[in-house]
Amino acid sequence: MLQLANVTKRYGNLVAVDGISLEIRRGECFGLLGPNGAGKSTTMSLIAGLRVPDAGSISLDGQSLVAGRADLRLALGLVPQHVALYTELSAEQNLRIFGELYGLRGAELRARIDEALAAVQLTDRRRDLVKTYSGGMARRLNLVAALLHRPKVLLCDEPTVGVDPQSRNAIFEYLERLSREGLTIIYSTHYMEEATRLCSRIGIVDHGKLHALGTLDELLARLPFEEEIRFPADAVTAPFAAALRPHGELTTAENAHRFRPAAAYKLSAFFALAESHGLPGRLFTSQRPTLEAVFLHLTGRSLRE
Amino acid sequence: MRPIFVLLRKDFANFFRNKAAVSLTFIVPFVMIYLFGQIFGVNRKDSGPTGIPLAVVNAGDHPAAAKLVAALKAEKSFRVISEFTNPDGTKRPLAEADLKPAMQAPGAPYRFALVLPADLVGAGSLGLKLRIFSNPRNEIETQTVNGMLQKTIFTNVPQLLGESLQANARRFLGDEKFQAFNGGIAQAVARGFGGDPAAIQRAIESGDFGAAAFGNAAGTGNSNPTADFFARIVKIESVQVVGANVKSPAATGIVGGWAIQFLLFALSASATSLFRERDAGIFQRILAAPVTRSQILWSKFAYGVLLGIFQLMVLFCAGRLLFGIEVEQHVVRLLVVCAFAAAACTSFGMLLAAVSPNAEAASGLATFLIMTMSSLGGAWFPISLMPEFIQQFSKLTLVYWSMEGFSAVLWAGQSFVQLLPILGILGGITTAVMALAIWRFNRSRIFD
Ligand SMILES: Nc1ncnc2c1ncn2[C@@H]1O[C@H](COP(=O)(O)OP(=O)(O)O)[C@@H](O)[C@H]1O
Ligand SMILES: [Mg+2]
Repeated sequence: MLQLANVTKRYGNLVAVDGISLEIRRGECFGLLGPNGAGKSTTMSLIAGLRVPDAGSISLDGQSLVAGRADLRLALGLVPQHVALYTELSAEQNLRIFGELYGLRGAELRARIDEALAAVQLTDRRRDLVKTYSGGMARRLNLVAALLHRPKVLLCDEPTVGVDPQSRNAIFEYLERLSREGLTIIYSTHYMEEATRLCSRIGIVDHGKLHALGTLDELLARLPFEEEIRFPADAVTAPFAAALRPHGELTTAENAHRFRPAAAYKLSAFFALAESHGLPGRLFTSQRPTLEAVFLHLTGRSLRE
Repeated sequence: MRPIFVLLRKDFANFFRNKAAVSLTFIVPFVMIYLFGQIFGVNRKDSGPTGIPLAVVNAGDHPAAAKLVAALKAEKSFRVISEFTNPDGTKRPLAEADLKPAMQAPGAPYRFALVLPADLVGAGSLGLKLRIFSNPRNEIETQTVNGMLQKTIFTNVPQLLGESLQANARRFLGDEKFQAFNGGIAQAVARGFGGDPAAIQRAIESGDFGAAAFGNAAGTGNSNPTADFFARIVKIESVQVVGANVKSPAATGIVGGWAIQFLLFALSASATSLFRERDAGIFQRILAAPVTRSQILWSKFAYGVLLGIFQLMVLFCAGRLLFGIEVEQHVVRLLVVCAFAAAACTSFGMLLAAVSPNAEAASGLATFLIMTMSSLGGAWFPISLMPEFIQQFSKLTLVYWSMEGFSAVLWAGQSFVQLLPILGILGGITTAVMALAIWRFNRSRIFD
């Protein structure tokens, strides 16, 4: 439905989006996962028509979006990364302004505002100024403001940054509902948990490049191991960790080692080595690797960097 | 078109939510207009402050001093207190020694006092030896009262000033030369304008340079040629400072000047709100909708012009109430001039936003430029009081041309055709500045 072909965007010498090609299918929730500065927001703004790509093309149902046609804009809704609302005005006033800019008016606009406010549980705060809202409430309003005109594709640029867990959950449930109802969603985030929970397909971006694309299982299958073994990082385990290093990927974070065995390395060999270092089996836990591991594997960097 | 209208309404909603902006646009200029109206003495007869308690001590028996006291008593703004009530209920004339204790007491009966000493027209200094005591509640109050006092003195007893000059001349020249000097002038005046040289000389020596006509420029019934002669000279200066008889130009200048200055502040603030909207990411949201960049800019422009027309008209109506500026007869032409002036001010604000990297830089630059333009352009005091070479710069400011437009309508009562040159200049300023602003906006990062 939405197609990006070789899309490139530069800011001076910096290549913010570097030849990205991907296709988003109707009704899917597509995740764009990458750390800060990866080029997610730039990609979103290119799709939304706020910027013109230096190279490549973007098309919706076969029609180029770059030309900036008004009717194509109506098919898209953008949730900006920052809370883009008039804080000195009420929620209702904000929604009226943005609804009117999309050409809505009268009873229809009023009905959609009511519906939008109800959907994110802001009905009883509708007349309050946005500046009196909590971060989570403002985020929820920021989200529905992009939906008043009923776009076919919703572009959500990190819509949960700085949000309390409760609001985050409310946003997720709302997006899941929209997705079930058939809305196509592009969701950018640097939280792998969010991408894992919400998105049917995920693109991993870093330094403007698309490194991998697929379902969660497809992405995990790219890892040369199926298990990830954790054990404490301390003086006792240090010699063992050093001995383990040649046999796979070893990373250390928050007083814990995480070991991802190379394909040829057998678990029996692992435990034999542990025993020879006098380490009991209860020190080790194993789990399915996460997108974090995929990202690390693909880029050599951690998502949180 | 519709997005412009939506954005415009949004700007007005934001404006009226912002108490600081509303007060900067309407209330602050109103207060300035009111105060400066008082200071320059353009208050209408039936309005303005009345009955400010003013203690007056007349320590001498100078006839002009008595005249000044009478004039102050006649002045509605003051309630003159010249007697002291003894504890037993009897009264005596107020003395200078009474003033301080009374003024320092809690619940002081008066907070301003004027002392006319015995040597009122002393030879020791130029000017009058008036002493003003005050215990003001604030600076502005002192200025207001001083302004009203000055006005009363200048308009009612300019003779005192003439006398003071004469006393100094006498001391400086010596009696004999002084007589000869005045005699010479009297002869010359008599030759040039007719009249009795001896009478003219007496008038000059008493300091009466046609003072009768001074406070009453319209009443030229005075047959004394000396009086007419000096009245004409003095009047030229007095038009600007005192303005008692020239209500409309002074009042128009004050209203127009302060209104334009604060309009410039308001519109620069509105233009710099572009930065705030950008920083909040709101342009991303607006531009993701079917709205163009130029629609955003033109909505700001339309907003500025409408707000400007509204503000100027409100303040001129306030001027109507305060000073009796005749607004009604000229409403349509005034609206047109206001629209052009507002457009010029708006374009100024837009250019400011277009050339500044951020809101802070823009408001700093705005404050500096607006103060400069306002003082140069004559918003604070009449430009005729400035040195001539500075007056030439006045014409480079939109403040000057806006004020020219207001006085052309309200004072000179010019027709549409007569207004065209000024409208042309304001329109030209707007076009040129807006073109520059849009050109800059297209290069700036404001929409990125
Ligand atoms: N307006 C801009 N001008 C110059 N560089 C920018 C601009 N916007 C983003 N960048 C740079 O482009 C890169 C990608 O930024 P962005 O798309 O915001 O990444 P993300 O949303 O993934 O954090 C970053 O290095 C960022 O510093
Ligand atoms: Mg971003």
